[in-house]
Amino acid sequence: MNDLKKCFLKESDFATRSILGETIIVPIKGGVGDLNSIYVLNELGTQIWELIDGKSSINRMIEEICKAYDVGPEEAEKDTIEFLNSLEKGGLIYRRKE
Amino acid sequence: MEALRYSDFSLGLHQKMLDQRFPLQGTIEVTHRCPMKCVHCYNNLPIRDQEAQREELTVEEHCRILDEIVKAGCLWLLYTGGEIFSREDFLEIYTHGKRKGLLITLFTNGILITPKIANYLKEWPPFSIEVTLYGYTQKTYESITGLPGSYERCLTGIRLLMERGLPLKLKTVVLTLNHHEIWKIKQFVEEELGLEFMFDAMVNPRLNGARTPLEVRLRPEEIVELDRLDPRRMAEWRRFSEKFTGPVHSSRHGDRLYQCGGGTRAFSISPDGGLTVCALSPANAFNLRKSSFQEGWEEFFSKIREKKVTRRTKCISCEIKAMCGMCPANGTLENKDPEGPVDFLCQVAHLRARALGLSIKPHGACEYCKD
Repeated sequence: MNDLKKCFLKESDFATRSILGETIIVPIKGGVGDLNSIYVLNELGTQIWELIDGKSSINRMIEEICKAYDVGPEEAEKDTIEFLNSLEKGGLIYRRKE
Repeated sequence: MEALRYSDFSLGLHQKMLDQRFPLQGTIEVTHRCPMKCVHCYNNLPIRDQEAQREELTVEEHCRILDEIVKAGCLWLLYTGGEIFSREDFLEIYTHGKRKGLLITLFTNGILITPKIANYLKEWPPFSIEVTLYGYTQKTYESITGLPGSYERCLTGIRLLMERGLPLKLKTVVLTLNHHEIWKIKQFVEEELGLEFMFDAMVNPRLNGARTPLEVRLRPEEIVELDRLDPRRMAEWRRFSEKFTGPVHSSRHGDRLYQCGGGTRAFSISPDGGLTVCALSPANAFNLRKSSFQEGWEEFFSKIREKKVTRRTKCISCEIKAMCGMCPANGTLENKDPEGPVDFLCQVAHLRARALGLSIKPHGACEYCKD
């Protein structure tokens, strides 16, 4: 995931819910994610999740995180990539084809 | 990103709610119609009851209501009946709820489950499915359901769900008619099928006031004997009593009629769109056909939850009331009085407390406190 121009799309078999200030991602179809678990996003994760639209690059996400959290680009890049990796591994997002 | 087990997530969310009213969990009865004629059922109607069918919410109305409850924050939803699969369009409604990210539990008797339905549920898995198994033998099962062939159909439904690895639990309601088979049912489910099993023996009068279900209800001492004979059940009651029984303090909401979660974190919707605090409280429902869920939750339920008790019954200062099923709904169903203590429930609670070795402090004119 070193190409910071990459964009991602959300898998359609998950629903995003915002309940009592928590953002959660619920698997809705069989064979996706772990149906015994619920994915809970923290504030940073929620912001990145909202930017996953097939158009926003990793670079753009890093810029937004720097603005929102007053952190340097290196830390923001590390956090963003780590989060995107976990989403991709969980089957919640996929890379948009060029 | 954190992947949490549902139970941990649920606990965290409930702790976060504290005192605020929030519609986290709902029940929707999609129909009261059912192919079976169970002797103890509080709401079943014949499957071909055309008047009942005409009054049921349409798929479009269900979808609109689902959109509204999701917007309000509902996460856990129970679909029950009657028998949910009496409605041929049930899966359309269900799928809309799934797409919205609701965690859906299905209560079904299992007899209408076909390979097609089971395949569909595998594709769109519910959070949980609970099937009621009324007997170990066909004779006992069908003496309750009144439908020849229903025993085999239920077992077929269970197998279809099991073969697909769906999150299935079995349960039963213990009545005079299947009391003698309860431990055989439990053994069959847990050891032969390898599934989780639960049972309950609480039976209510019917919503229309008929008391026929009470003819097959166990006696209070029989119900508590079931606890005594099941160490796991007894341990659960002990844990519950340690947590919830004890001196009754005058809290901020101590004089309120409703002390349950209905209208504060839970709600129920009847087949014709009546919003109520629970399925056992159908009177004076808020009509979701004419108004929105948000209005019902905020205005209608606020008024209900503000209702205060009008007299001091023996229940007010009863220290074991958390172990008792007494509530305005049960009071109304049994005595036509939301505050009138239900003798049967009172007996069960006192016997259960004694079985646990709890001391019961005097709390007014309670005949069951005397030795």
